[in-house]
Amino acid sequence: MSKIHDAVVELRRAPGVRGAAVLTNDGLMAASSLDDALVADVVAGLSSFLLMTANKSLGEGSMGTCTQLTVHATHGKAVFLDLTDSFLVVLFDQFADIAGAQKQVQDAASRIRRASRLA
Amino acid sequence: MHLIQRMKIWKELRRLELRAREQPSPSTFVDLGQVYINLDLHDKAERIAEDGLALFPKAPELRQLLDCARRGLRGKQAAELRAKLTRSPNAATYRELAKLQIELGDQAALHTTCQEWSLRFPDDPGCWLVLGQARLVGFYRDLAAREGQEAVRCLQRAVAMAPGDAQARRLLGDLLYRIGAVNGAMEHLHKLQEIDPQDTELQTLLAHVQGLADRGDDIDGLLEDVEAHGSLAHPSLAAVPKPQGDEAMARVRDGLAHVADLAGVRKATFIRGSKALVKGAIRDGRDPFLRVVRVVAKAAHRFARRLDIGSANKTVVDGAFGHVCICVYGEALAAVQCDEGTDLTQVMAELQEIVAGALHAAEGSGK
Repeated sequence: MSKIHDAVVELRRAPGVRGAAVLTNDGLMAASSLDDALVADVVAGLSSFLLMTANKSLGEGSMGTCTQLTVHATHGKAVFLDLTDSFLVVLFDQFADIAGAQKQVQDAASRIRRASRLA
Repeated sequence: MHLIQRMKIWKELRRLELRAREQPSPSTFVDLGQVYINLDLHDKAERIAEDGLALFPKAPELRQLLDCARRGLRGKQAAELRAKLTRSPNAATYRELAKLQIELGDQAALHTTCQEWSLRFPDDPGCWLVLGQARLVGFYRDLAAREGQEAVRCLQRAVAMAPGDAQARRLLGDLLYRIGAVNGAMEHLHKLQEIDPQDTELQTLLAHVQGLADRGDDIDGLLEDVEAHGSLAHPSLAAVPKPQGDEAMARVRDGLAHVADLAGVRKATFIRGSKALVKGAIRDGRDPFLRVVRVVAKAAHRFARRLDIGSANKTVVDGAFGHVCICVYGEALAAVQCDEGTDLTQVMAELQEIVAGALHAAEGSGK
């Protein structure tokens, strides 16, 4: 569990990242490192809502599930990465370069997947 | 802040200012503006964003910087007004502060202000009108019944306190006909006509509302229906298609055809309200791609709004099906489904052009 937490904390240090968290598919937070302005429960609830809604509509259309979802908003950005039974949420500020941070996000996801298998 | 830290920041600022002058690019202006924002110098950040936009008018990051700086400035203005109210409370300052808080989207602060306002000036209907306006924004954004009920309650109270106030009555009338309470809306619109018989815009609105079907006067029930269906019963007057919209739609159609021709793109759509234009391998209106686009765009919008990160303009969903790219501004939405390996930057830029073109045409026809 601490390896997952370490991966999240390290990802949080990447430029432009306001917060990172690992959530179960039903919205329970397994690990998180968030900016003071972000409330863990709100992030968990909203992320779970978005992922579940997207996956439900994809499932109804027989399109499978989403492996990654990226949202660019006026004042921030968010990336959701599927980790099979859970997902990684990374929240960025509005100026962050998501493409530039993609490698760090993927590395963190790999570390979390490995740690989940070992646990 | 420590003196040495402060000196370091000013040195960094000088370096960034020099860089912005010698190698101007959106990112150099954004870096400089961000430092000013971090230093709480939002007025300077606003100037930097405006300078940057003068050189790079299409840079989205500079628009975001300008927006961020202006939000900071409004925050400062709100703090000043709050201090002024503590010294000498008056209804006009409360109104000014409440409007700023609506612009900032600070619902909690707005409620506190309006509560104070109504306690200190119980005969002033202004606080109910402002609260009603804020609730209306929330209702039209999320189509949540509770927001609508609150908006109706506040506006009805404002109308009861000032029957001659046109603004509250107009907002209430608009809301009622859009949810289907056409007869209820007509009562308010007729009252408005009595207040100002020369208002030609109102006459056009009356003609528009008269032609709509009434769905009863159970306002709570109608609001619940709106929430359940995710759409309003009747379009606003501004959303009614105008003849000059044909040319704009032809441009959207061309843009959509162009994006559908890009390598890797399988399906493309442009959606505005209940209407959709499609290109590519879309069988019919029940194609799952269209549903996914609508559902994900709406969910992303709610996610961003509730997380207080503004409006979700671009969303990309990846999966075994490839990518679904969605670009939304206001009521206009353009989206594609494309294969893995497609140049998403180019696709997104094309979608943005389509949506921006459609919005520009809508603004033009609205003038």
